[in-house]
Amino acid sequence: MELRVSAKKQLGKFHFSADFEIKGRKIGIFGPSGSGKTTLVSFIAGFRSPDNGSISLDGETLFDSSIGINIAPEHRRIGMVFQRSQLFPHLSVKNNLLYGYKRCHAIYRKIKPDEVIEVMQIGHLLKRGVSNLSGGEKQRVAIGRAILSNPRLLLMDEPLSAIDESLKLQIISYLKNTCDVFDIPYLFISHTLLEMRIMAEQVLSIAGGYVKGMVTAEELARGEMRNSGGYTNLLNLTGPHRVSDVYEYRWGSQDIFVANNGGPPATLFELPARNVILFKRHPGMVSTRNFLKGVVTSIFDMGTTVGVELQLGSEKLVAEVTKKAANQMDIKIGLEIFAAVKALAFKPLFRSREP
Amino acid sequence: MPEFSHSDYLAILLSLKISLVATFISLPLGFTVAYLMTFKRFKGKVALDVLVNLPLTLPPVVIGYLLLLMLGQNGWLGKWVLQPLGIKLIFTWKAAVIATAVVGFPLMVRSIRTNMEMIDRRLIQVSRTLGASRFDGIFTIIIPLSLRGIIAGSILMFARGLGEFGATIIVAGNIPGVTQTIPLAIYEYVSSPKGDSLAMALCSVSIAISVIVLVFYEWFGRKMIKRK
Amino acid sequence: MKNVIRGMFFVLFIFLFFTTTVKASDINVSAAASLREVITTLSANYSKIHPDVSFKNNFAASGALAKQIENGAPADIFFSANVEWMDHLKDKGLLDKKNITTLAYNTLVFVGKPNPNIKAMQDIVIFEKIAIGSPKSVPAGQYATEAIKKAGIEKQIAGKLVMAKDVRECLMYADRGEVNGAFVYRTDAEQLAKNVKILFSVPQEYCPRVTYPVALTAVGSKKAEAESFYKYLQSSEAKEVILKYGFMVK
Repeated sequence: MELRVSAKKQLGKFHFSADFEIKGRKIGIFGPSGSGKTTLVSFIAGFRSPDNGSISLDGETLFDSSIGINIAPEHRRIGMVFQRSQLFPHLSVKNNLLYGYKRCHAIYRKIKPDEVIEVMQIGHLLKRGVSNLSGGEKQRVAIGRAILSNPRLLLMDEPLSAIDESLKLQIISYLKNTCDVFDIPYLFISHTLLEMRIMAEQVLSIAGGYVKGMVTAEELARGEMRNSGGYTNLLNLTGPHRVSDVYEYRWGSQDIFVANNGGPPATLFELPARNVILFKRHPGMVSTRNFLKGVVTSIFDMGTTVGVELQLGSEKLVAEVTKKAANQMDIKIGLEIFAAVKALAFKPLFRSREP
Repeated sequence: MPEFSHSDYLAILLSLKISLVATFISLPLGFTVAYLMTFKRFKGKVALDVLVNLPLTLPPVVIGYLLLLMLGQNGWLGKWVLQPLGIKLIFTWKAAVIATAVVGFPLMVRSIRTNMEMIDRRLIQVSRTLGASRFDGIFTIIIPLSLRGIIAGSILMFARGLGEFGATIIVAGNIPGVTQTIPLAIYEYVSSPKGDSLAMALCSVSIAISVIVLVFYEWFGRKMIKRK
Repeated sequence: MKNVIRGMFFVLFIFLFFTTTVKASDINVSAAASLREVITTLSANYSKIHPDVSFKNNFAASGALAKQIENGAPADIFFSANVEWMDHLKDKGLLDKKNITTLAYNTLVFVGKPNPNIKAMQDIVIFEKIAIGSPKSVPAGQYATEAIKKAGIEKQIAGKLVMAKDVRECLMYADRGEVNGAFVYRTDAEQLAKNVKILFSVPQEYCPRVTYPVALTAVGSKKAEAESFYKYLQSSEAKEVILKYGFMVK
């Protein structure tokens, strides 16, 4: 997916200005409230127009003020998921789902209703009216509806903000899995770092009406460290199988052991950097189930502490140590080092589906 | 119960017919006006609002007289449009329909508007992202969600139409079998020393119809609330 | 603030209860609409001779007036355009039986835009709309309905008749061109018609003499001025006025 935006708009005292080009399929837009994220999204979707500029998607011009092109939203084939599900109250769940599908030209209908219903697990809701659904169920239907319109780009404007904390992970798992399974390029807007790291590979940063730049999700996490109370590693572990009281996973070329706390095994985990303990030499017996060998690739300042990035086989991990410890251990780039992680230290998020 | 004459029965039928037709022809325009007032911004919106609501505050005879001036032989519409086309409206049942429609129009528009204004605008935006054109959205989203107001407005307008007198008598005249509705028939009987029993009988019919319509209106309103 | 509201209520009270000043020497006249100019002139002339007497003249369809009097409307003298409504009040005991007499006579005519082809009752069936007074209360309409029946054109005329509340409204419909023609009295046509003229008189065989009885009401018989005016109506001066306006006295 290739998106080019060059837009300027004056809204009272608020000035919006963006000039960027993105190539990719999992793009995030990150910024605080009022930064202009929703304005940008409304320009891309076609509900509002910049004062001047141009917008093009995959080479097709959607908007160009100099030659007077402004394609209507219904012809842009850009789907949207909103903060509040906005399901049609007078239609059943099934008819909500099919609304966009019916209006999608036959040649574009690659994603079929049965597939989406299965992935979203909303089969049991089909005949029901919309008003009795829970918030999570509503949002799943809304996502399904947007996907069934077979868009070439999916815009998601803070889709989890109105969801109960306890349900957010569940919904984001549906969201991520569905987009992976159906391979739909998306723009994911959020002000929550974790959501951004889960959903996006590249992230546009917006503040005060200006697009500040493009970073990877990882770089964003590093940049936001000070605001988010330290760095958290996100690990995608595959192929779990039970080994007595733990699960054994594959992580790149390593084996990782994660505590079994009941329930089906997850695949995405959080691991706070401060839970990674570094050893310069192998200490012999260790109480942690995970003892990994790697090489220091970078060291960065985290305020009162230091972040040490390690290359472990094909994967990277960040450990957080005090400045004093870093000095005492004389940690340098290129140093061979051991990382110890307890099986209990991994916080499970959710289980991904294979694409 | 006294014997109704042939023209009395005609009066009852005419009342129902004229009110029904007036309500039906007002629906498309009423819906369009309500839509414009709710969803669009344009110059002269306030003026349109005032114009649409004017029949609510004007005495019906004033409305009748203005219609007469406009549609009569010397009126600007009558002289330049109707006469050349050979269309005669004054003192026909069509004029009765027009008078009834004008008088009841604000009731319909207000009812539909109240309902429309409760529709979440973002639903329309959503429909467009799903590929629905503006027109499509009107038929598949706005009309179904305004149905309550449309029906309520129609019932109200129908009920008001049954009682229309002032504008009708001026622009459609009192023509038994053609424009003489129940109120006009009662008016004739009331002026006549021998007409009291028939006036009362027609009044009873009028009250009975109104009660039926209002009961239906209430029932409908309750049914809609249950659905929510 | 309280005092202002009290003051307003006081003014309202005064307004409601003391608006009409009723003088003992007022004569209340209820007269058929077609007699408007005649009665206005007669009462003006009478007032010149008796300056302390003033008139309240109420003009409408005779049937409507009869109903008003029946329901207690104040009337000292009643002029009707047919005998029926006078008899109606007489039977109810609302008239002074000794003081009922005939004032004048008139002719029923048909008016319309000048048209040489319309010469008789049968000719009017080609018209789309014809105005008559409502036969339930307007004598002119009652006469016209009778004539239509007797001329045998009732079926063809059905659905074309526009009901007017009195004979003057009838004429107005015709004058304004809202109807093709109307049944009015000769006097109305001659005095007031602007855009229409008399196309034919309704022959005697279809329409009996248009008769205007006048009576002193039971209420009026107690008023000396009313009785005096009633007598004045039969004077030669009064007859002159009546003739001047086109009515017949024999």
